[in-house]
Amino acid sequence: MSKKLYTLVALFVVAAFVLASCAPAPTPAPVETEAPPPPEVTEAPATEAPATKAPATEAPTEAPKFRVGFVTDTGGIDDKSFNTTQWNGVLRAVDELGVEAQFIQSDEATQYEPNLTEFASQGYDLVIASGFFLGGDLAKVAAQYPDIKFTIVDYSYPDPFGVPEGVVGNKECIPNVQGQVFKTDQAAFLAGYLAAGMTKTGKLGYFGGAKIPTVTIFGVGFQHGMEYYNEVHGTQVTLIGWDNKTGEGLFTGDFMDLTKGKESTESLFDEGADIFMGVGGLIGSPGFDVARERGGYGVWVDVDGYNMLPEARDVLLTSVMKNMDNSVFDVIKATMDGTFQGCDVYIGGLENAGVGLAPYHDVESAVPAELKAEVEDLQAKIVSGEITDTGCISYPDWCPPGLYE
Amino acid sequence: MVEELTLAQKQQLNRRRWIIGAIVLFMAALILQFGLGSGGSKSTFVLSSQRTGVNIPAPDLVLPTDVTLYSMAALVGLAGVWQTLRGFKRDTVVILVSVSVLTAAFLVWATEDKSLNLTGMLVSSVVRATPIAMAALAGIYSERSGVVNIGIEGMMTMGAFMAVVFASITGNLWVGVIAGVLAGMVMGWLHGVLSIKYKVNQIVSGTGIIILALGITSYLQRAVLNLNPELNQPGPVISAVAIPGVWRIPVLGPVLFNQSPLIYLMIVLLVVTHVLLYYTRWGLRVRSVGEHPKAADTLGINVFRLRYISVLLSGAIAGLGGAYMSIGAAGRFNEGMVAGKGFLGLAAMIFGNWNPGGAFFGSLIFGFFDSWQEKISILQVGIPVDLLGMAPYIATMIVLAGFIGRARMPAADGTPYEKE
Repeated sequence: MSKKLYTLVALFVVAAFVLASCAPAPTPAPVETEAPPPPEVTEAPATEAPATKAPATEAPTEAPKFRVGFVTDTGGIDDKSFNTTQWNGVLRAVDELGVEAQFIQSDEATQYEPNLTEFASQGYDLVIASGFFLGGDLAKVAAQYPDIKFTIVDYSYPDPFGVPEGVVGNKECIPNVQGQVFKTDQAAFLAGYLAAGMTKTGKLGYFGGAKIPTVTIFGVGFQHGMEYYNEVHGTQVTLIGWDNKTGEGLFTGDFMDLTKGKESTESLFDEGADIFMGVGGLIGSPGFDVARERGGYGVWVDVDGYNMLPEARDVLLTSVMKNMDNSVFDVIKATMDGTFQGCDVYIGGLENAGVGLAPYHDVESAVPAELKAEVEDLQAKIVSGEITDTGCISYPDWCPPGLYE
Repeated sequence: MVEELTLAQKQQLNRRRWIIGAIVLFMAALILQFGLGSGGSKSTFVLSSQRTGVNIPAPDLVLPTDVTLYSMAALVGLAGVWQTLRGFKRDTVVILVSVSVLTAAFLVWATEDKSLNLTGMLVSSVVRATPIAMAALAGIYSERSGVVNIGIEGMMTMGAFMAVVFASITGNLWVGVIAGVLAGMVMGWLHGVLSIKYKVNQIVSGTGIIILALGITSYLQRAVLNLNPELNQPGPVISAVAIPGVWRIPVLGPVLFNQSPLIYLMIVLLVVTHVLLYYTRWGLRVRSVGEHPKAADTLGINVFRLRYISVLLSGAIAGLGGAYMSIGAAGRFNEGMVAGKGFLGLAAMIFGNWNPGGAFFGSLIFGFFDSWQEKISILQVGIPVDLLGMAPYIATMIVLAGFIGRARMPAADGTPYEKE
């Protein structure tokens, strides 16, 4: 009896923990990864000699191919959004530049450092870290492997909050890391202008997952674009749920609770908005049902929602895209060409297709031709520099630092 | 000796009277403070509703901000004075009423020269309360029979996941609901086997259920759903059903009679649970098993069977709650989307003293303050958003602690029954 019990409990506990921490087998990617850290990782300077000598001996000297390693955040390689977009950039480099690429999925935040170390200790030519959450760990790993080149997406150093004090990257940039940041407000500006031209109620809505710069920058550009439309057309379109002047707005408090995202959208529509933009993972997705019921539109963010949310295509006005695939590709190419700029940031804007407004797809016919032309004209003006302030110059407090300097 | 005691008691009573009086007076002063400097402005409350795409018209409620706030302050102030001097018999009610008036006053102040959709806020309160109330009901079934069920969060997660997958495969949302309920029951059965049959510590077993459910769903989402997105596309969510005759009533109609059928189901379940627990032989047996299983056993009640049934019912309702969140509201599954609703439900159950009515009340308060803080965010009154986000938690604690008083859990809750 008790033996049976122990077997059952043991099985249960093991199953629970295995499933809780295990990741699916890698997808048919070019090269397989996911190997447990080899024993030499423990001997690598990772733990013993921080920031002193480079593991030059471990780097294969006669690597015929340029090797790129990509470490995901906990979203996983198949998240169809943040990580997938970056990996697509790597895949494009495999196709067009002939690099060799591998990825490691991080299933928990504790795996960021070992995963980064894994690529660095094998002497990869470029190691790509997927985003903000890896910032602190990357600073540590980069200091231990000064000869390895790293790049991190949607993030840049110095970061006094994410990087521990005393680690390079807290107050200064890191010589072997190139950050990648995006002038998201430029694309959001276009979306705000477009939405202001499309609204029937004269009110737009915005909500975010948390009040952090990478989320609020969407609101900054959106509002600025809307105000520009008001200026040009003499209209009185207003924005609910965000205000550049006060920095106050509507935030759900997390990036997971989809029902909160839905209620936030209901709330914005209750107050008269008929076009909304929900920023933060998938929390914006249920809002498209609300928009359909009430006869409005939604704006998706980060990637083109047309592929990601096929069920929302009829009410998807456009998407404010951060083209992380382009930025990743560009950085890989620059590194191959020998123009890797450590301590510098790649700035993605409309001019280098680092950010962009998605096509109208299914609502193509609903958008008036003259409005389309105006948006295109506006985009050209931003690219040419005729319009410089798309929000973040006037309101830098709600945008990530280092975009316009 | 006796006189001394009464004197001490009297002093204590007086002190309580004064403290509560002071609190109420303080609230009156706060309301007055809101009123100052709002002369001439108006607060507009929109009562019509466009939720679910149907327009239920109602005239706007336009209040003169200052007059409204002054009268509210006067009302609470008078109550405070009376409380300090003479004392109300039920002083907790005074506090509750004052807090409610203060909440309303805050809204009136925040809406100064602006407008706010009051009906929308109330509809949203009910919607937000629903998954919490379902979780609380699930907890009541299990714990009334003496099995602590901390795994509700996990059961809801499984329910949410399976509901989406089966609704996507079959194209029928109600098949999804049934799948969600069954998934919850499977998790409930597992909890039952571990904690009733094998007498594993119920907290440990419940925690295991949570980890297991989060692990399975997270694994399957990455390994299956992300690669086959059509499995995570159940289509439009379960649409609202208008109850004929009453759904067009202004304010009341949208709040109560034009909602998702799962919300009606939740209300029916509440009533049924109340009747079952307190007016049927079966309910008496469940409660006796939760209070004193040995006595129940001596009277010929099958303790194990009753507990199994209760835990299965608990899992079923939790699964229903999960299905509501995924195919009833969000329209897809996402890792961690239950986001603590299971735990909030347990809190509502405890504050509601293990009664369906009390638990529902607790869920409603949470739902109300959740949408209240959202409206305040939209109105932009200068309170940091993180602080506002705490409002529903704090309000629920204060109101329920004041209203319900001390909760008493079923005596045998958490103790596995050993048959001799």
